Amino acid sequence: MPDYAIGAVSAATPSFYVDALKGTAAEGGAITTSGASFDSVLSGVQGAGGVQLGRSAQGIGDVSSVGGIVDSLQGLQTKSADLAVRAVTGDLTDVHDYTIAAAEASTAMELTAAVRNKAVEAFNEILRMQA
Amino acid sequence: MTIFGAIGIAGSGLDVHRKWLDAVSDNIANVNTVKSTSEDAFQARYVVAQEVTTGEGGVQVAGAVFGSKEGRLVYSPDDPLADEEGYVRMPDFDMESQMTQLIMAQRGYQANAAVIDRAKAEYEAALQIGRS
Repeated sequence: MPDYAIGAVSAATPSFYVDALKGTAAEGGAITTSGASFDSVLSGVQGAGGVQLGRSAQGIGDVSSVGGIVDSLQGLQTKSADLAVRAVTGDLTDVHDYTIAAAEASTAMELTAAVRNKAVEAFNEILRMQA
Repeated sequence: MTIFGAIGIAGSGLDVHRKWLDAVSDNIANVNTVKSTSEDAFQARYVVAQEVTTGEGGVQVAGAVFGSKEGRLVYSPDDPLADEEGYVRMPDFDMESQMTQLIMAQRGYQANAAVIDRAKAEYEAALQIGRS
């Protein structure tokens, strides 16, 4: 049953924070504002979310992690816009297809925003560390 | 299939129930369709639902099964389609069973729509964790 979203989000915070710390330590200990440490934060998120969300997220192609959902956000938005046009012009036989696509796009958007917020928060936390 | 598993599975349920509703409405619309005895009667359409065994699950329409061709012979000599003995063919299902199926299709559709709502609320509740 796809109910692992709670585990994924709660596990994402501590482990990618640790990974971000490891990332900055590997770069010589200096806290940089380059994109490299940010990438390590995001890849930490992908690793953390991968196990928990794997079961419920094996839908579109290779979507198998939180990062995968973020990547496919663009696809979901396009699909939702497409179906909206078809619903309005009368080509849509299943009305629920459009409402489901709109609900998924909005949930994926919120997930993306949450991932970004957590990543930025962890990043700022690292920045605030005294030398 | 979709990313959020429960939503995708319930979506397939909505598809099947919508097709069931279409079949029932077709049957009800044709409940009084008279044919002459030389043709087949109007055959009721029954949708065959089958589980999806690959991937995450769900349901799909495996096909349609049609009712009897003979129908009921009804004595109606004034009908222009009646044969020499005055019989015509009427469809062989009754309105009561179709109305029951209509209610089942509607409630099934509503149940699947409720699953989607609840699944969306569940995913949103997960996103609230740690937001403060």
